[in-house]
Amino acid sequence: MNASGIKLGLGFYTALFIVFLYGPLAILAVLSFQIGPEGGPQFPIIEWSTYWYKHLFGLTPPSRIAPLPIEQALVRSLALAVMTMIVSTVLGVTAAQAFRKKFRGSGVVFYLIVLGMMVPGVLVGLGMALVANTLGIDRHWWGTAFVLHVVYTFPFAFLVMLAIFNRFDPSVEEAAWSLGVTPARTFRKVTFPLIFPGVLSAMLFAFTLSYDEFSRTLFASGRDLTLPLAIYGTFSVEVHPNVFAFGVLTTLFSFALLGTYAVLMGLSVRRAKRVAIQEEA
Amino acid sequence: MTMAATHHDTSVETAAPPTRKQPDRTALLLAPGVLWMLLFLVAPILMMVYVSFWTQTTFKIEPTLTLKSWVAFFSSETYLGALWTTIRIWLIVLVSTLLVGYPAALFVGLFVKNKTLSTALLVLCVIPFWTSFLIRVLAWRPMLGKEGAINMILMKIGVITQPIEVLLFSELSVIIGMTQIYCVFMVGPIAFMLGRIDPSVIEAAQDLGAGFWRIFRTIILPLSMPGVVVGAIFVSVMVLGEFATSAALSGRKVNLLGNIIVTQVGSLKWAFAAVAGVVLTILMGAVVAALLRVVDLRKEL
Repeated sequence: MNASGIKLGLGFYTALFIVFLYGPLAILAVLSFQIGPEGGPQFPIIEWSTYWYKHLFGLTPPSRIAPLPIEQALVRSLALAVMTMIVSTVLGVTAAQAFRKKFRGSGVVFYLIVLGMMVPGVLVGLGMALVANTLGIDRHWWGTAFVLHVVYTFPFAFLVMLAIFNRFDPSVEEAAWSLGVTPARTFRKVTFPLIFPGVLSAMLFAFTLSYDEFSRTLFASGRDLTLPLAIYGTFSVEVHPNVFAFGVLTTLFSFALLGTYAVLMGLSVRRAKRVAIQEEA
Repeated sequence: MTMAATHHDTSVETAAPPTRKQPDRTALLLAPGVLWMLLFLVAPILMMVYVSFWTQTTFKIEPTLTLKSWVAFFSSETYLGALWTTIRIWLIVLVSTLLVGYPAALFVGLFVKNKTLSTALLVLCVIPFWTSFLIRVLAWRPMLGKEGAINMILMKIGVITQPIEVLLFSELSVIIGMTQIYCVFMVGPIAFMLGRIDPSVIEAAQDLGAGFWRIFRTIILPLSMPGVVVGAIFVSVMVLGEFATSAALSGRKVNLLGNIIVTQVGSLKWAFAAVAGVVLTILMGAVVAALLRVVDLRKEL
């Protein structure tokens, strides 16, 4: 009796908790449909409109509210995320592959890699800015910021691949080797298809983390803005609903990415099942 | 392995080359990642420590070693104030994420028996992380502002007649924002540990007549401690390294060490920024070490 009352209470609390997590984002989404350019970022909604979305794409007549500098920033952010995704996934797979064998100093190497996701962006960012400053290197998003993005995302890719390799049956590879297949070909034809779902997850992690990364970029990227830096720039000034509209759009983009991942994952699982059935038959 | 044992003579020939090659291959596989981390993670951090002892002139730093920046840091009220604010906000957010997150974790990890439902609830908690961190911080502005949603609702139902101004651009708004953003890092590990509690232990306690609070105190809470510690480490590291939330929600009233670093870098005071960075690193290391003392994670997990 007592326990069910507590369960009910906790369930109600959890519902409130979810509202706490989503509430602000929901309010932000609603306010992005405020009329412009006179409507401010607060209630009441004077009139529903898509003005601020058009404003974002430069489709509205010029007004006193400057458009967000997103066009160039979007291209940079996407390019940076793709570069980061490729490099950190490759590093993650190779490092995790090495960890399948026991070796001396594996503990140290493990902590060294995981440190990359633990150390706050302010510290690495500052450190990288100092290094660049001392060596006289210009800071750019594709240089100093890119290497820091990989420092941040590579540990995630590594941990994902480590988990995948933990459940991996090495006898399949041994079978290929014993049939005289070269290690490189074995990796391409046997290992890689088996670990592909893991690789996909590692790529998704690296891409989204880099696409949203901001504190490292702030210190290490120099003059050119990425998308998160463009948003950060609005913090110090008056906020208009165009930032909210932008927030809604990038959230939708992230969900689309998650959806693509889910579809690819589903396809790969289904294909694996089909292969398994064929082999049984 | 069994194959190698039974077909000894044939497999030695073919299996031997990979095993003999293994040591070099491990080193080769590790080299890129390790090198990357040494060059772009360890070296910058060491550089930061080194530069904190350099001589700062108006816009430049010179590699003449001095303690001046350190002395300046610890004799300046602004910097010491920032250090104290950082510690205070960290402690408050740590406690509030625990208080806000624990009941939700208790429900998800222990009370929801249906596996699908508990997974769905956890996924629901994680989804906001798929949106930009900065947007989530910014979303608190129309919530907390003078004409914000909370003030509007409170005034409509007649709880208040004047809008509460202290909600936004204050320390409170920073704490609210950080609690919301980081509490999920508490919920996850705690729910995980609670999910591993053997239900028969709790049933046994119930059969022996223990009430819920007694069960909570003597069974649930101690067994969830490793989760609390892991969550606390996540939250601590992230909150201590924060500057964006206070930049967005405090209206420059709250200056954390992170904010000091941003400002100092902006005005090219590299040595001061480096000192603040080293202080932050030491603080973080001390906090994590202290938390690891509370529970021996290796034994518990």
